[in-house]
Amino acid sequence: MALIEIENLSVTFTAKGRPVRAVKGVSLAVEQGESYGLVGESGSGKSTILRAICGLAPVSGGTIRIGGQPLPSPRGADFSRRVQMVFQDPYASLHPRHTIDRTLSEPLAIHGIGNTDQRVTQALKDVGLPPNFRFRFPHQLSGGQRQRVAIARALMLEPSILLLDEPTSALDASVQAETLNLLNRLCAERGLTFLMVSHDLAVIDHMCDRILVMQHGQAVEELPREALAKAEMKTDYARSLFAASADRMLDA
Amino acid sequence: MTTLVDWLRDPSPTSRRQARLGQSYLAWLRLKRNHLAMIGLAIVALLVIVAALAPWITPHDPITQNLRERLQPPLTAGHILGTDDFGRDILSRLIMGSRITLFIIALVAVTAPVFGLLVGTVAGYFGGWTDEILMRITDIFLAFPKLILALALVAVLGPGMENAVLAIAITSWPPYARVARAETLTVRNSDYIAAVRLQGASAARIIWGHIMPMCIPSVIIRVTLDMAGVILIAAGLGFLGLGVQPPMPEWGAMISAGRKYLFEQWWVATMPGMAIFIVSLGFNLLGDGLRDVLDPRNSGK
Amino acid sequence: MTLLSVENLRVTFDTEAGVVEAVRGVSFSLGRERLGIVGESGSGKTQTGRSVLRLIRPPGRIEADRMNFDGIDLIKASERDMRALRGPRIAMVMQDPKYSLNPVMRVGQQLMEGLRRRDGMGKKEAHAKAIEALAAVQIRDPERVMDAWPHELSGGMGQRVMIAMMLIPNPDLLIADEPTSALDVTVQAEVLSILDNLVRTRGMGLIFISHDLRLVSRFCDRVLVMFKGKVVEELPARDLMKAQHPYTQGLLNCLPRIGGPREPLPALDRNADWAR
Repeated sequence: MALIEIENLSVTFTAKGRPVRAVKGVSLAVEQGESYGLVGESGSGKSTILRAICGLAPVSGGTIRIGGQPLPSPRGADFSRRVQMVFQDPYASLHPRHTIDRTLSEPLAIHGIGNTDQRVTQALKDVGLPPNFRFRFPHQLSGGQRQRVAIARALMLEPSILLLDEPTSALDASVQAETLNLLNRLCAERGLTFLMVSHDLAVIDHMCDRILVMQHGQAVEELPREALAKAEMKTDYARSLFAASADRMLDA
Repeated sequence: MTTLVDWLRDPSPTSRRQARLGQSYLAWLRLKRNHLAMIGLAIVALLVIVAALAPWITPHDPITQNLRERLQPPLTAGHILGTDDFGRDILSRLIMGSRITLFIIALVAVTAPVFGLLVGTVAGYFGGWTDEILMRITDIFLAFPKLILALALVAVLGPGMENAVLAIAITSWPPYARVARAETLTVRNSDYIAAVRLQGASAARIIWGHIMPMCIPSVIIRVTLDMAGVILIAAGLGFLGLGVQPPMPEWGAMISAGRKYLFEQWWVATMPGMAIFIVSLGFNLLGDGLRDVLDPRNSGK
Repeated sequence: MTLLSVENLRVTFDTEAGVVEAVRGVSFSLGRERLGIVGESGSGKTQTGRSVLRLIRPPGRIEADRMNFDGIDLIKASERDMRALRGPRIAMVMQDPKYSLNPVMRVGQQLMEGLRRRDGMGKKEAHAKAIEALAAVQIRDPERVMDAWPHELSGGMGQRVMIAMMLIPNPDLLIADEPTSALDVTVQAEVLSILDNLVRTRGMGLIFISHDLRLVSRFCDRVLVMFKGKVVEELPARDLMKAQHPYTQGLLNCLPRIGGPREPLPALDRNADWAR
């Protein structure tokens, strides 16, 4: 049985009184310990799937199961301790008036977990930030450092599933490399399951074991990692997406 | 001194308190560059000091009448600002009156904005029916002219300082609710609120700990800018005899008493008028300066 | 023939935290060729591009030993002369068309505004010229786009409109600051080839500013690599793979590759000595 099972998921927003279907009947399954990638262009609905899992988007049809159990609505405390998310823009995902310390200790306070001091310092260490960053404000940090804080925050509750919404697309290439390395290290150390969204095929290829190509809210094609490198896609859209990223090939 | 400044400017503070004080210090540095705001701050500080020391610095008793010395012009010996129609020293009455003014301001400042903030953030965060109901109530209050509503309330409750404060507070919370709601709407869909929701935080926790801190700067700015209006309404109620009762030296009531002599003994009404003007100006200047420092839109970087 | 020459350009900002030097002594010259400026955020590449148009707002300051455009001294030129240069002679395309187009004006009006005001064209003539410009950026139904509001355009379409607008007065130099970074990959390629084609056929100079080394090398003749306000390496685009400087090599190597190994990506060594 897969850890995350999504069956026939539909998400419908209401914009200006008209329904807009952002996700149309997408199904996927992610095994325990696997890294699964959702790739597509803007408006393909890939980020909306992550938000739907978190209960942050209006699900209009289908089911989402984690560990075989359908998710309750609202999601509840158990869900928070199993699933956490890292957002795209590190400039928007940290509270501008809270210190790093407050941001990291908030989840502990919510769930009544003690030993705050030690856990916060350890979390900073785990993501490779110096301990004297603890009482800084987000505006005193660079984009890459902020994203490390966001990763640390997501790991405070020791979840088994991490949802990654374009975690490096707002970062410089070199900072992206460091952040991806950090995520891979944490994944190996803690046996995390990743569900990652990106528009960058090379990033997805580097991180994920299986890939789902999406377009206009629909699943186009699912590919194992090996098939991507060998360009063995069956649909035209996946092929055109691949062609546009040709300069990211190993031998380019 | 330098060690204190170094401690405040330390880029890597070692406690929450140091971090917060450091941020306040930076805000203070920014405010200090704005000369007009510093003038405003000086006026407000002066008001507070005078009110605190009032009983000890009044040259004469502000209440005892002395009919032999009535309507003395300014700069007479012993009465720098002259005397009123009961022979009371105007300067002493102004100094004592500063206590009443400050009391009204302080009471309004701690009640109306807090209530408005609560209504606005709750309405903005929950949206839907909650928003609809709370904001329609706010609209009803906003639809009445402030002074008229305050008059009606005082007429029902009876004249007096406490009722005047109550009336002013009830009439001045709706704008704060509007400001707080607008701010909440821009904040509530942000990623950092989504992140804390995802951590399982309750609505109360999110509103109190995450949304309110974002709304407070705009509300504080609004409060300082509104204080001039509060002083004027209090004075207006006093002028109409519905606020503080004689012989208490409230500034509005003093103007009202001086009205009869406006052409011959101009100073009786003018001096309290000047006091109201200066204090209102002080709050407005300070509010303008605070807007530049606190506005969340330009403190991002 | 040199179109633009810049010597020892410096851009400094006086802030509360002290003086920040965004650009520290950059020199380059440009003929009717395509020059790429590459660097990470904070490297000063955008400020360099903006200084050529003197578009740095106070508290920023521009200083240079020399900054000449086609015989005009850009340091000494009056603000009025600069206004006459911006647009007709030197044009700029920015990253996000959403913020570069006026949201309360139809696309057609914005395209025709310059033609009618500056060149004193009649309504009909300006309309025809605008349609022609939209056709040049391969917009299939220019009439419909002329009547559209900016928010009705997709990102790729908006950026094409921006390019069309900038190229109407036939400038000698185009500065493109991350013109495709906000676009989807499949759209990116299209917009770039349109831009490339126009610049080539009209014989303009192009300064292409980007964070993406590989992209720049495909579309430019020469590349400047910037780090912390300085140029660390200048090289012909075709020799990019033979880059000498460790920073340039680091930028090339730290990107993940499709089909690449799963091992950690090489981290970029940000040696402060390079910035000296």
